[in-house]
Order: sequence, then C-alpha cells, then structure tokens
Amino acid sequence: MSATAIATRPAARLSAPGIVRSEWIKLRSVRSTVWSYAIIVVVSLGMAALMASTISFVGEIPAEAHGSYVVQASTFGIFFGQLIVGVLGVLVISGEYSTGMIRSTLTAVPKRLPALAAKALVLFLTTLVVGLVSVFGSFAIAAPILAGEGIQPDLSDGIVVRDLALSALYLALVAVFSLGVGTILRSSAGGIAAALGTILLLPTVFQVIAGLTQAEWASNIMPYLLSNAGMGMFSESMDGTGLEQWQSLLVVLAWAAVSLVGGALLLKRRDA
Amino acid sequence: MIQAEGLTKRYGDKTAVNDISFTVKPGMVTGFLGPNGAGKSTTMRMIVGLDRPSEGSVIVNGKPYAAHTAPLREVGALLDAKAIHTGRSAYNHLLAMGATHGIGKARVNEVIGLTGLESVAGKRVGGFSLGMGQRLGIAAALLGDPATLILDEPVNGLDPEGVMWVRQLARHLAGEGRTIFLSSHLMSEMALTADHLIVLGRGKIIADAPVAEILATSTRTAVKLRSPRADQLAQLLQGADVTITTTEHDALTITGLTAPVIGEAAAQAGIPLHELTPVGASLEEAYMELTQDDVEYHAGTTATITEEAAR
Repeated sequence: MSATAIATRPAARLSAPGIVRSEWIKLRSVRSTVWSYAIIVVVSLGMAALMASTISFVGEIPAEAHGSYVVQASTFGIFFGQLIVGVLGVLVISGEYSTGMIRSTLTAVPKRLPALAAKALVLFLTTLVVGLVSVFGSFAIAAPILAGEGIQPDLSDGIVVRDLALSALYLALVAVFSLGVGTILRSSAGGIAAALGTILLLPTVFQVIAGLTQAEWASNIMPYLLSNAGMGMFSESMDGTGLEQWQSLLVVLAWAAVSLVGGALLLKRRDA
Repeated sequence: MIQAEGLTKRYGDKTAVNDISFTVKPGMVTGFLGPNGAGKSTTMRMIVGLDRPSEGSVIVNGKPYAAHTAPLREVGALLDAKAIHTGRSAYNHLLAMGATHGIGKARVNEVIGLTGLESVAGKRVGGFSLGMGQRLGIAAALLGDPATLILDEPVNGLDPEGVMWVRQLARHLAGEGRTIFLSSHLMSEMALTADHLIVLGRGKIIADAPVAEILATSTRTAVKLRSPRADQLAQLLQGADVTITTTEHDALTITGLTAPVIGEAAAQAGIPLHELTPVGASLEEAYMELTQDDVEYHAGTTATITEEAAR
C-alpha cells in the first residue's frame, strides 16, 4: 500500500534555482515591497524634473563639468531611495521573524544559508533594476531640460552612463547591507533604526565631532561611512580629498559583505 | 520513521528536554502527549533542525533532516500555525514554500482543496481565524506529500468538524503507510486518534507504549454497582485491597475486585443488583496517574535525601 502511494508522489527536489524562485515569489507577493519600489521610481523622476528645472546657473559652466551636473540631477532620487531600500532590506527578513514565517522558510531550506543567499540575490537584482529604471528615467527627464540651459554633456566617453549605473548599484548594495542588519537583529524596529542610523546619522555624528573638536581622525573617517562612500561611487568628492570612485565602491562592497556575512554566521548558529 | 537518541535541549540552566530516546514507526499514528511546557514542541523543532540539540541526535527516514535532498518530501511539519507571513495570501505562501522544491501550482491547488481553503486562498493570511491558519499550516505540511508528518497541536482552534477532519486525515495517512507524529495536551483527543503513545513530562519520557496497554496498566479500573441493599453489600465485600466509595445511597464504586467476583458474592448472599458496570480508566485518568507517579518519584527522592541528612 505504501509502495503505490510513494510511486505516485510527484518528483520534488530542493534546488538553488527553486530557492531563488521561492524568494522572488515572497518578495513580489507582499504589498510593502511593491509600494516601496514604486515610491522610489516616482520620487526619483519627480526630483529629477524639479532639480533640473529649478537649478540656476551663474556664469559659464565649463564643458567638462556638464556631465557631473546631469548626473547630479538624475541621481537625486538615490538620496531618498537609499532610505526606503534601507527599510525594505531589513523588513524582508525581520518580517519573517516577527510573523514566524522564518520557521517555514528554514523548514523548507534546512541548510539555511541558501535561503539567505537567495534572499540577498533576489533583493540585489530587483533593487538594481528599480535603481536603473529610476536613474535612467530621471536622466531622460532631466537631460532635455538642462539642454535648454545649454548644458549638454558629451556622452561618447560613457562616463555619464557609467556613473548613473554605479548609483543604481549603490542602491542595490544598500539593500543587501540592510538585509544583513535585519538578519543580525531579527527585529523590524531595531533593524530599521540600525540601518537608517548607519545611512543617515553616522555622517552627521562624525561631522559634529570633527566640527567641535577639530579632530583629524573624525574627518578622515568620513569617506569610509556607508552613505558617503556611496555618493563617492558616482560623484566627485565635494572637498576633493575623498576616495577615488573605485575605492568608494570597494568600501560600499565591504559594508554590504560584512553585514551579510555577520547575518549568515548568526543565522547558521542560532535556534530559529 | 523518526529515531531520537539521547536527545537533550538546555536553555541556559533550564533543561527543556532531558536525554530522551524514542522511535516513531510508520503505518500508525503516534501521539505525543504531555502537559504544556513538557518539551513536546522543542522535541519537534529539533526533529526538523530548527533547534539544535544540546546533546544527542535525531534522524528522520535514516538521515538528519537537513541531509535529505528533498526535506519537504520526507517530513511535513506543522509546528506553529502562525509560522506564516501575515502580509501574503495563502496561495502565494504555499507557492513560495513549494517553489523551493520545484513543487508547482497543481500541487498547491491540490492541498488547498484538500484542506478546504478554496474560498480564502487569495486572501491575506493576516485576516485568518485561528482555525483557518491551522488549516493553512496543515496544507503547507502536506505540500511535499511527505512520508512523515509532524503535527504540533493540530486541532488547536479548530471547530468540531475540523477536529474530526484532522482525526480522519491522520488515520487515513497512517493507513497509507506513513509515519504520523501528533502532539497534544488533550488526552481525550489522543484516545480517539493515536495507536501508540509517547508521554512526556518535565522533559523526560514517562511512557512509550500502545494506547491499549497504557489504559490496561492503569490501576484505576473500577466497578460501579447499584443495589437496594448497598450498605449490606459493602460490608460483605470489604477487604484489604478493596476500596469502596458510596456515590449515592444505593450506588457504590469499588476498586480492587472484578465484576464477576462481585456479582457472584451478591448472588450467594441473595442481594439483588440493579446495575453492575466495569469502568475502564479513561486515558485522562491513566495520564494523570502517570504524571502523578513522576511527581511522587521526585518527592520520594527528596524524602530519602532528607532522611539521610537527618542520620
């Protein structure tokens, strides 16, 4: 009797593509995800239109600076988007802890790490696509407006396109960083506070310290903070003493990697 | 088939599960019985690898749960009816769970039908009643058509119809040769559903035997009788190992004597009987007795220690 029952059972097997598909279904089937991404795109496009049309120029802008003006106008939404993505990245895992869903997830994927890896991959790719849509959409809005002001960057060297793509990459890496934070802290409130604190508050804190004490170490540390390094990935540093773009990229990668690896170690070790 | 060997779980200095070994066999329903806090849920979580044992090990169908290539095919588990994201629909929850194993829409719709969730499958789980959440948890457990089913308090929050349904489902799946491991703190439920019982108290196994055997070993088997001359009969039946309690003026409950012995004694004395009923111990009583023994054992040890200290 049991033999026939077992023979007719459907073929099923735990696989990496299956786990990725599962995480994709999870990401798209919760309303907050869809809303968050929609807001990023809408706000980015709106900001770009606003920035491009209200920017006022005094005197002649040198031709080599045209590119960075356009990039600045097109990536303004990233400043805002990093906060939304910071919350979303935390919620993707903390929402599973608060509802108990994590126990279902880890029962289906008992080795645990593939589940976190799939979450990170899906979140990274989705955010990257949303980021690319946002910045290139913003570019499509801002460029014609700025062209009317006589700012027409030379696109032939690909620097503008590269910088726009890097800003979307930064957004995706912030999402991964926040996922790691959420995995470590397992709570929505704590995770969001920690992620947004890192993105928003840390630069201010160090700025205040540097301003009050004139301490050199405080200003030296500034370019290595997550959001500062992120801005450094796609725009020239404001005071000219910062890191190269590729160095900033490495710093952001390190933030995301340390956070995610920390989360992975704890996820593997702890009882669910 | 579930095999646990010296399974122990400690949280700090509190021992939730204390060195238990047991086997849950296929083709029958095994009940896992114990009061709240006895360690049932912890044991079940260790079986599917959610909690790591402090000592000992547990294997399912020959391997640790995580070592299987298709864990959901080996074990379906309902560990907590609330282990579901409240912002997602029931359908998408099942679809996401199944996707990990390449289980598609056809099977998802099948388990939705099987658990009677058709009308609410598209709704967000946050609005579900406890009973619907329980059904969804059972649907998720059935997703992989597993050879072993672990259900922690499956009838919690279900209406009488739902309770009946779980009972029949468990019996049916066991009939197909699967391993069914069912926990409850409701002994009456177990008496109706389980073939075999593992009774847990304070993290230790108190009993591991067929249901019938646990009932039979109970010393509480009693005989109820009614007679117009109950007082006279009570005097007649008095003895060293016999307990007689008068429940009403014409009714007695007697332990320590069997119904035939009482009947013959009454006939010889010419006392008429209006009723003579052997009363089997209920599983509740058997269970209370088992846990009571456990408590007495602890009390006994304390007494011995005190005596030794006094000497």
